[in-house]
Amino acid sequence: MTARFVSGDPVRVRPGAKPGHVRTPDYLKGKPGRVESVLGAYPNPEDLAYGLSGQPERVLYKVGFRQGALWPDYEGPAEETLYADVYEHWLEPGGEE
Amino acid sequence: MGGEPAGPINQQGHEPEDWERLADAINAALGKKGLQTTDEHRRAIESLPNYRDLAYYERWASATEKLLVEKGLLTKIEIDERAADLHRRWENA
Repeated sequence: MTARFVSGDPVRVRPGAKPGHVRTPDYLKGKPGRVESVLGAYPNPEDLAYGLSGQPERVLYKVGFRQGALWPDYEGPAEETLYADVYEHWLEPGGEE
Repeated sequence: MGGEPAGPINQQGHEPEDWERLADAINAALGKKGLQTTDEHRRAIESLPNYRDLAYYERWASATEKLLVEKGLLTKIEIDERAADLHRRWENA
């Protein structure tokens, strides 16, 4: 398994729409976060959804997002973090300063 | 819901109804037989045009029907006839 990102890397979820079934929530698209951990490589669920093999496997990350970066009207504690599992093909470098 | 505004959540627990148990059981049986995977089912659920109007197991049942027809395992007519048959049996039970 070759993982593009390591724990602690700033990342941004790709903003665009992808045709078909996706496993990345809309509210995370385009949002900055930080890799919390590398979870492993798994068959791509976006292909499994159509009865395909899901190969090659994709690396899955646990990514942390500041709640304030996700919700425009967020008023909770600044350090509050939402964690989501995001596949590598949905991530690009960048994100949180 | 899905990051969009939604109303209050009813957190009251409730017993599943018979048809909900059946929807669940059919799903499990199809999975065991290798006729349907969770990933396919999830995709079918999320692509339902009336997703937001349906309750949880209504989505499950609708998505299962969609997949069975899509895979050519059953026709819509066969499913509707069987559902009508079950409906009659339950009415008379």
